[in-house]
Amino acid sequence: MRRVALIRFVLLVAAIVVLPFCVRPVVASEICIFAIAAMALNLIFGYTGMLSFGQATFFGLAAYTAGLMMIHWHAPLLAVLAAGTLVGGVAAALIGYVCIQRVGTYFIMLTFGFNQMLYFIAYKWTAVTGGDDGLPGIPRPPFAVGPLSISLDSSLRYYGFVAVSFLLAFYAMKRIVDSPLGVIFRAIRENPGRAAAVGYDVKRYKWLAFTIAGAFTGGAGVLYSMMFGIVPLESISWIISGDIVFMVLIGGIGNLYGPLLGAAAFKWLSEAISVVWERWPLILGVALVLVVLFLRGGLVEAFTRVRDIVAGGGPRPEPDEPVSVPDAAESQARP
Amino acid sequence: MSTITRRRFLEATGVAAASVLASPALVRAQGKELVMLGIWPFTGAFADVGPLPDRGMKLAIEEWGNKVIGRPIKYITRDDETKASSATRRMEEAIDSENAKVVIGPWSSGIALACTEVAKRRKVFYYFSGGTEDIAGKRCHRYAFNWAASPYTAMHVVVDNYMKLNPSHKRWYLFVNDYAFGWSVEKYTREAGQHHGIEFVGSDRMPLGTREYSGFVSKAAAAKPDVLCLLNAGQDVLVSIREAHNFGLAPKVAIVNSWGVGTEDFLQLDPKTRENFWVGTNAYYGANTPVAKKMVELYQAKYNAPPGYAPCAAYGMTRLTLRAIEKAGSAEPADIVKALEGWETQDWPGKLSVNAKTHQTVRDYFLLRCKKPDQMKHQFDFADIVAVSSQPLMPDSLNECKDIGSL
Amino acid sequence: MNLSLLAGAILNGLVTGMLYALMGIGLSLILGLLNIPNFAHGVLYALGAYVMVSGTKAFGFVGGALAALVAVAVLGAVIETLGVRRLSRVHPDYTLLLTFGLSLILTESIILVWGPVGITSQPPALLAGSVDLGVTLYPKYRLVVMVVTAVLVLASYLFVTRTRYGAIIRAGIEDKDMAAALGINIRRVFTVTFAAGAGLAALGGALMTPVRGLLPTMGLDILPFAFVVVVLGGLGSLPGAILAGLLVGVVQSLMTAIWPPGADASVFVLMTLGIIARPQGLLGQR
Repeated sequence: MRRVALIRFVLLVAAIVVLPFCVRPVVASEICIFAIAAMALNLIFGYTGMLSFGQATFFGLAAYTAGLMMIHWHAPLLAVLAAGTLVGGVAAALIGYVCIQRVGTYFIMLTFGFNQMLYFIAYKWTAVTGGDDGLPGIPRPPFAVGPLSISLDSSLRYYGFVAVSFLLAFYAMKRIVDSPLGVIFRAIRENPGRAAAVGYDVKRYKWLAFTIAGAFTGGAGVLYSMMFGIVPLESISWIISGDIVFMVLIGGIGNLYGPLLGAAAFKWLSEAISVVWERWPLILGVALVLVVLFLRGGLVEAFTRVRDIVAGGGPRPEPDEPVSVPDAAESQARP
Repeated sequence: MSTITRRRFLEATGVAAASVLASPALVRAQGKELVMLGIWPFTGAFADVGPLPDRGMKLAIEEWGNKVIGRPIKYITRDDETKASSATRRMEEAIDSENAKVVIGPWSSGIALACTEVAKRRKVFYYFSGGTEDIAGKRCHRYAFNWAASPYTAMHVVVDNYMKLNPSHKRWYLFVNDYAFGWSVEKYTREAGQHHGIEFVGSDRMPLGTREYSGFVSKAAAAKPDVLCLLNAGQDVLVSIREAHNFGLAPKVAIVNSWGVGTEDFLQLDPKTRENFWVGTNAYYGANTPVAKKMVELYQAKYNAPPGYAPCAAYGMTRLTLRAIEKAGSAEPADIVKALEGWETQDWPGKLSVNAKTHQTVRDYFLLRCKKPDQMKHQFDFADIVAVSSQPLMPDSLNECKDIGSL
Repeated sequence: MNLSLLAGAILNGLVTGMLYALMGIGLSLILGLLNIPNFAHGVLYALGAYVMVSGTKAFGFVGGALAALVAVAVLGAVIETLGVRRLSRVHPDYTLLLTFGLSLILTESIILVWGPVGITSQPPALLAGSVDLGVTLYPKYRLVVMVVTAVLVLASYLFVTRTRYGAIIRAGIEDKDMAAALGINIRRVFTVTFAAGAGLAALGGALMTPVRGLLPTMGLDILPFAFVVVVLGGLGSLPGAILAGLLVGVVQSLMTAIWPPGADASVFVLMTLGIIARPQGLLGQR
């Protein structure tokens, strides 16, 4: 098992190295940034069973925090990254405390509701956020540790920084889901009632998962703020929240690599098709529907199937319920 | 899984993934050709607008025979999705992958303010036409130019000439879209209004894309204005006009859309709802100059309807850029910038000049009065041009572009 | 605020509120019975409006509205049979993804068929202009829409609570397996419910064309509010959805009169407070 994990990790690093030479470095950076956010959502959605439709709250809050720190204080890179992560985590702790009191659709709508409120504040508080015009003029500080200082001005160098941040985030996330904590999260997803009966404080663990995810999402938001020198208002809008949800779903939930593939596919598809045909969302929609109807395990399952065909076994019969997605709907639907 | 199957799996998926991912990279920029990027909204809130400037830009490039100073022109477009994040990302991507040196667009002022940052950082030539004063103001830099009239001049042309014809209409009510564009035009409408003793009896700010204007119209009706002044954009203009008629406010009360697109809006409005409707605009197809007439003829032959502000602006910006490239004998952004700075010339819509200190184009602005249905001679005979003027100029003291910076 | 303004704001709120209620009923039934957060509900509303505009040209105003109702209800039945049904045994998140994909496809199809440019439409000549209600002038057409949607909302409610078929739907919401065990063809009930929900949304869109105009993305403008209504009213509760629809409509409209920028935000504040204070929704039982 350890060898399999190692090979997967090596493969991931190889993909990260190759990525900016296959797609533009800018797109590659964005893929990595959204992969972090998708990975964070996967922790609460895929591993703990809570679908948040409001991750842009933490993404955007951290992006604004970082932007303001860099504009007004010329704060250094790592300080900004730490601050944004902290802001994401604290905001998620506050908002999450309220949201996790409810489950199912009510939980989703609470996360969405808070997202809308913060969007509104960002929209109206133009003196601080620039409102609809976005927060412009954000510098990209160099990567500086002690006497070492590396400029990140070129797209490729910035990608390097984003990629390293991504790998660190991935490693941290892997440690979390492999730890006893991860096991508890999964137990809560499978059956919250049983987890409680065994003696776990379900709400507290949900809260913890939500907070951790908020911190990761905040980190992604900071990286995003430095991409184009502007924090656009969309960064805190529900459109981004929705995109993150769909990335996770496309990739396949409840497994570490799914959200990464989902983020890559979602971003790359929308970039590649939009250049070819201005009605690109149509193709995206058709792809989504086909995936849902015929390839429910997401891209991870696609790989598995290709592997099986290559191995000569022919396609597997499709299970009614993919193993990665337990039918927790009934238990979720009631508060 | 066995080692062999794993390796074969990795090979197979690796090859597949590489071929899928690599395809955009195959389109590499070619040496001699000049890449011009039109960044327009094909999806999102301004999705309806995108195809129009696209037509205008194409028209100008075709008129040049797809080449300038002996170099073939490659025209590419990107969808900004009416989102600043997508616009900047795709603009940057086009600069990287296609080596775009000239960027024109987008449509929304808010998004333009994001794009101008990219132009500044990547040192590409950037042309925009819109109502925010900041492109040639607070956020000015050497590589960015604004083609539209300055909101100061535009609002004065509208208010001064409207008041000349309707001196008793002193009660104005404002609908303002709450973003860069709306703030600029509101500021200068109020400024121009002071000179005529206009009382602003109320104003509401609403987000772009508001679909329910009934509440605002009820409020406006309660304030008993003489003029309902629309400082909004896109479909918001049409929705507010329709509601004003539904509520019986118009045509009794005049509607003045101070910064309008003209033709495209007219085409979408029932002739009855165009009664007592006044529009200030950067481009009307009735403009009586050789450049405008020729362009309108070409456009109408191709698309069966006269062009409105959007295609004219894209055409005008592209045309002026191409002429500046010819003047400079170079397509390097810095040379185009220098060729444009301080240039006085004849182009769309007529005589114009480019302020070297602010990069604001000094050009004519139109005030139109729509015709009643029975006065129209043909289906496109929408309006009379009641005023065309490039005056008054914005006083230097008001412009926030104090230092345009270096190349 | 003067009286005329207040009356106008409340009337506007009731018109939008009735529309929200109409959307909410369909969404709520689909969510309650099929356990699907129907992300495509907004685009079905938009499609109704577009079919209406084309249908009016061919069959007149009433004919256009009926065409919108029938066409979109049939589309709803097709979506349920070919798409949603295939996913009945898997996690509902996949249906969310399916309906999201469908909403992209249908929105872009609207652009391809009717063009990206918005369309404005006039009320029928008979209903043009406004009437003096004493306190305020109000457009005739809006008053008629208010009455028609109110009748539709009430009829849907009575259908679900008072008829035999309605009883079957309610039984399905309570316990699908039990209903199926009792010999009810629950699959057909699902199809009919989905089609009816789609039809109601389309009719809402059709009736609102002269009020709100048409834009390909109009579905996305209204979707969040429809979900708010369902959640605020209580999942699966029809009286809840109706009450919440009116409440959201009126609050939004009053806020427009008092402090316009806060109009939409106030709705989400209302919802959040609602969920926190009454987890089961205004009139929800569970």
